[in-house]
Amino acid sequence: MNAKLKQYGKIAYDGLITNNATFKLVLGTCATLGMSTSAVNSFGMGLSVTVVLLLSNVIISLLRNVIPNTVRIPAFVVIIATMVTLLRMVLEKYIPDLYDSMGVFLPLIVVNCVILGRAEAFASKRPVIESAVDGIFTGLGLTCALTLIGIIREFLGSGSFFGIQVMDFKIGFFTNAAGAFFVYGICIALFMLITDQADKARRVKKAQLLRVPAEPLPPVDNTAVQATEET
Amino acid sequence: MTVKQFFKSNAFKSLAVLILIVLVAGALLAIFNDLLYVSDEERLSRSLAKIYGTEVTAEELELTEEERTYAYGSVNAVYFVEDDGNYLFQTTGTGGYGSGGTVTLWTIVACTGTAEAGDLTLTGIEKVVYDSNNGQTFISNLNDDFYAAFAQQDELVAGGGYFTAVTNGTDDLNNIVAGASKSSNAACNAVNTALACFRTVFMGGAA
Repeated sequence: MNAKLKQYGKIAYDGLITNNATFKLVLGTCATLGMSTSAVNSFGMGLSVTVVLLLSNVIISLLRNVIPNTVRIPAFVVIIATMVTLLRMVLEKYIPDLYDSMGVFLPLIVVNCVILGRAEAFASKRPVIESAVDGIFTGLGLTCALTLIGIIREFLGSGSFFGIQVMDFKIGFFTNAAGAFFVYGICIALFMLITDQADKARRVKKAQLLRVPAEPLPPVDNTAVQATEET
Repeated sequence: MTVKQFFKSNAFKSLAVLILIVLVAGALLAIFNDLLYVSDEERLSRSLAKIYGTEVTAEELELTEEERTYAYGSVNAVYFVEDDGNYLFQTTGTGGYGSGGTVTLWTIVACTGTAEAGDLTLTGIEKVVYDSNNGQTFISNLNDDFYAAFAQQDELVAGGGYFTAVTNGTDDLNNIVAGASKSSNAACNAVNTALACFRTVFMGGAA
């Protein structure tokens, strides 16, 4: 049980940090750049992808022994497209504002590399619960990254925070595509720097823990050497 | 390959599984489409609630094809709002970025009098709300201030004028946003279409 929990923890950490879809694997860039003009849109997009990831991962994992290897990619695409269409219907019915603001990027979730990537690399080879954990945490990693970019772009580009006006100044550059690339690049650089530093610190700590404390060497007995030299 | 061999082959199994997945997915979508269907009436009431902030009663008015088309763009729908006596237009303005670039807006045209009594007078624009666009990459640059500016020019509207996506030299008119001039132009044309339709069809004048 403990080993299982540890494994789920590792999968969760991988999805959030080690294999962060946005900052580390640089997947789903189209939606990241297009939807991150505001924090609310970014958050909505992130959650939508998370739901699709979770559902598609679970279904693909359930069917992994049924789907023949030769048709696995078309089968995955049909499953993902079905989940995205269901999500579209639900959003249009119950959250029309988000549906309107996501526009063309909502159906484009079908071709988001993160979803097909996790289906192919993880869900098609692992049990259902592990696939579900992977779907949730990969999605949450993407949601956090998208929301962060959205917050920065909205604050600098529109002077607001989650739609609430907080500053008078606006830098139009950050609402444009060029601004999106700029913020994305800076975020990737910072993320890599922080994770590298944390990794380095962890390795140093591990090395220190593994190192055997140095014992004082016994005094050298030179009498035998001296005896040889004298003869 | 015999028929028996075909039915035992991997190719058949692959095909059967794929067809089965497609059929199940199709059935699932059909069921959910029925459960989550959004009717035209629901769409309209949502749009009206978004524009007015509260639920209002509106009657759709019939227009001929000729009455729908203007130099600035076209009228998609027009409603008489029973709560305040104003007219609500959904219009698509041409002249946006790229070939065929358009902006679709909702425009509330404020007026006094009634068409039946023949004393209908245009007093201004009450509100302009964004609806959708075609091919306008920088549409998000058109912020709330841009749309609010249409409602602050009653003199121009009551005087029979139209909006242009240029500054007038004094920066009084804010009908253009730098970096999105083509989208601004299409948005102005969408509002102008509503004005032209109101003046021609309901006031009985010339556009």
